Order: sequence, then structure tokens, then C-alpha cells
Amino acid sequence: MIMIFVRKTTIIDSIKYLLFLGVIITIITLSSANMNYNWQWYRVPGYIISRSADGALIPGRLLTGLALTVKISVISLVLAFFIGMITALFRLSSSFTAKLVARIYLELIRNTPLLIQLFVIYFVISPVFNINPFISAVLALSLFEGAYASEIIRGGITAIPKGQWESAYSLGLNTIDTYRFIVLPQTLKQVLPPLTGQAVSLIKDSALVSTIAIFDLTMAGQSIISETFLTFEIWFTVALIYLVMTVSISAFVHRLEKRSRYDQ
Amino acid sequence: MTSKPIISITDLNKTFPGSNKDLEVIAVKDVTVDIYQGEVVVVIGPSGAGKSTLLRCLNGLEDFDSGSIIIDNIPLNHHHKNRLEIRKEVGMVFQSFNLFPHMTVRENISLAVRRVRKKSLAECETITVDLLEKVGITDKIDSYPSQLSGGQQQRVAIARSLAMNPKVMLFDEATSALDPVMISEVLDVMKNLAKDGMTMVVVTHEMGFAREAGSRILFMDNGEIVEDRKVEDFFLDPNEDRSKAFLSKVI
Repeated sequence: MIMIFVRKTTIIDSIKYLLFLGVIITIITLSSANMNYNWQWYRVPGYIISRSADGALIPGRLLTGLALTVKISVISLVLAFFIGMITALFRLSSSFTAKLVARIYLELIRNTPLLIQLFVIYFVISPVFNINPFISAVLALSLFEGAYASEIIRGGITAIPKGQWESAYSLGLNTIDTYRFIVLPQTLKQVLPPLTGQAVSLIKDSALVSTIAIFDLTMAGQSIISETFLTFEIWFTVALIYLVMTVSISAFVHRLEKRSRYDQ
Repeated sequence: MTSKPIISITDLNKTFPGSNKDLEVIAVKDVTVDIYQGEVVVVIGPSGAGKSTLLRCLNGLEDFDSGSIIIDNIPLNHHHKNRLEIRKEVGMVFQSFNLFPHMTVRENISLAVRRVRKKSLAECETITVDLLEKVGITDKIDSYPSQLSGGQQQRVAIARSLAMNPKVMLFDEATSALDPVMISEVLDVMKNLAKDGMTMVVVTHEMGFAREAGSRILFMDNGEIVEDRKVEDFFLDPNEDRSKAFLSKVI
């Protein structure tokens, strides 16, 4: 990306860009010099990938944490999507009860902090139903992001022109088929970009599950730091890993969008 | 004409509520009319006369306040099943085409045949090809609506409705969004349909179509049917002042 950026811009822009980089590097070097911080980057790769006694490559603690973060995020993402879809349909349905249930869920989730929801599920609900921390984490994340996803999906559904419903109905299609073949396919195409934003939020928010004794990426970073005091190196690395994940999701969806576009 | 009407409307009333009594709009007022098989009923009148609302009541896109509508012996009431049953038998073509933009022409036409009429894939394909031939756009079967002109889109929309093999076709200002060349392509398709004996209720401003293909004129004003006459009688000798005034403006 940087390469393309430099190639395409004028020399003046390149100079501005180099100046900007220079300032950033100077600030970091100066501040670390002031703190007398002893950078030990060479120790970081061992926490990503290391060798066992017999020489085989084994994942380091950061990578193991990352795997768990990915697992939690993917499962929560799928669940959040379905929760969001069902909640959106509930809110748009003509049933008073369905609307009420959706409304209460949305207000509860959107007006309380995620951390508190996580604690309530982990400390209050999970002992009652005997569910493990992993499931508590997935439940909390998908309920939280599902609420936001539902508002995005609902917005997408209401943006479908009335004429689409009318022509579907006038062909004799029932409500379920109209949603399934006419409304939802068009909605999903419209809401894919904002839903991606929500997926990125979910991955970032998943860092909070480290508070309920789950060894995700954040928790792995924390534990390494408490043993080694590599505070800067590890946090920078952890942040970079999150960044790579979220940016690649956005890029992937962007490509997907471009490929499956029909002209309207 | 058969003795029993295919559409029977009795004392139909429809008011659009406003925030207060003064803002209420009476769209359809005490409309009673019977339509028989094979008739091409052309509904005309000034804008705001309630023509489209009357049409939209006929397939339950609009609810009515009082009165009754019976189509093909099925009363259109709060029973959802009746409504679906009537919609199977009543096709509708809209001013804005309303094709499904994410589907090809083939998919647009065959969706309801497959889902509602439960025909096999092979039957759907035959129906689709036949109807595209009928409306004269066989080469666009794999195109998306956005790749078609307005006139082509409207002809696909007509084919889509016909695919359900309806007993009645409703046209709601089907040519109002088109330019003159496209208007005539769509009108030709409609005239052929009329010739084939399709029962049609057509809301339009095309007086030429009304004269040529229509069998009956309903002239509406302020929600009421002012005149219900045979086409030739209406154009030669309108009874009411309101119809005379309207005709003098549009012809």
C-alpha cells in the first residue's frame, strides 16, 4: 500500500510523507531515550513461533492466543449475524410480542457496557447453567454485536423500495418467500459494508474476554509482559496483529463486494 | 359475456387518514361495479381521482374501509389465505416496473411460477421463453433489469405477471414513466393481450389505447365513478359535465 502511495504521488507529496514518518520516528526514539527503555525486539518472535526441544516448530503463546481470539470472533460473528437478522425481522413484524421482545433486548444491550454484560453472563448466569468461560464469552460478544447488527440489517430492509414488496405480493408470493428471494438478498448486498465495520468492532471488543480468564491474544500478551516486562514490544505486536486481522477483513469484503456487484 | 362477473365491487369506500379530519383524503367513494370476463375496462380521470387506489384495492395492496370485493368467487377480506389466492389470479403491472434488480429476466419471470404455482424447472423455462417471445424480447433472457430500456423492463414485468397465468390483469399507469417510442411498444403488447381475450383493468392517460383496445370506460373523479359507459358511447357522447371537461382537456 505504501509503495503504491509513493509511486502515484508527486515528489512534493513524497517529501511530506517522509517528513511525517521522520517526525513519528523521532518522537518514538526521543521518548524511549528519555525513559531509558531498553528495546528487546529480538525476544518477541519466540512468543509468536518457537522451536520445541526436538527442533519442530510450535506456535508461541501469542499465536495460541490469536487462535483463540479468531475462534471466539468467528463463532460470535456467525451467531451475531443470525441474532441480528432475527431481531430485525422481529422488530419489523406485525406481532406485538415479537416487537416487544426485540425492543427490550436492544435497549438492554445498547444501554449497558459490554464489560458489565460479560461479567453478568460469566459470574451470574454461567454458574446457574454451568456453562464454561468460552461459551460465556461467545454468548456475550454475539448478543452485544447482534444488537448493533440488527439495527444495520433493519435499516437495510426498510431501505428496499416499497415497489419491490408490492410486485412480490402481487405475484402471490407470501411474506416468507418475499423476504427470502426479494428483500433479504438485496438487503445483504446493501448492508455488507456496515456489517463489516461491525465485524471489525467485534474482533476489537473480543479483547475484553481476557477479563474472564480466557487466554485470548490480549490475555497472552498480558501474561508475557508480567513475566518479561517487554511492555512496549508486546503491546505493539499485539496491536499490530489486531490491525492485520481487521484490515484484511475489510479488504476481503471490499473485494467480495466489487466482484458480486450488479448495476442498479 | 358470461352472466357472472369475474370482479364484483360493491359500495367500496377508502379514506386515507390525515392528522385531522380536514386532511383526510377520500380516495374511493361508494364504488359499485361489475367486471366480466374478457372485458378491457379503462379507468380514466384527473389525477387524484382515486383510480390507482381502486386498482390497488383489487389485489389487496391497499386495504379498504367498507364495501366488498369478490374476485373469481373469492371474497377479498381479512383472511390472508383469500388474499394470496386472489393475488395468484390477478396480475399487476406498475408504473415503475418494479422488476427485481438482483435477478435476471429469466429469474424474474420464473420465480413466482416456481414458488407459487409449484411448476417444475422445465415448465418454468418453457413458460418464460414463450412469454418473452410474446412480449418480443427473447434475446434478453439472461440480462439484468438494469441492462434493459424502460420499455423492455415494462414488457418483462408484463411477462412476469402473465407467467402466473392470471385471470385478470391490472395495469397501473403502465406507460407513464416511458418515452413515446417505448410507450407504443408496451401498448402494443397490451393491445395484443386484449385481443387474446384477457380481462384487463387499465388505469391510463392513453386515450388512444382506451379507444382502440378498451371495451368499457370508468370515468372517475373525487373517488366516485362518474360515468360507466361503453368506449364508443363515452367518447362520442359523454353524459356528465365533468367527463366533458376532462375529455376536452385530454383530446
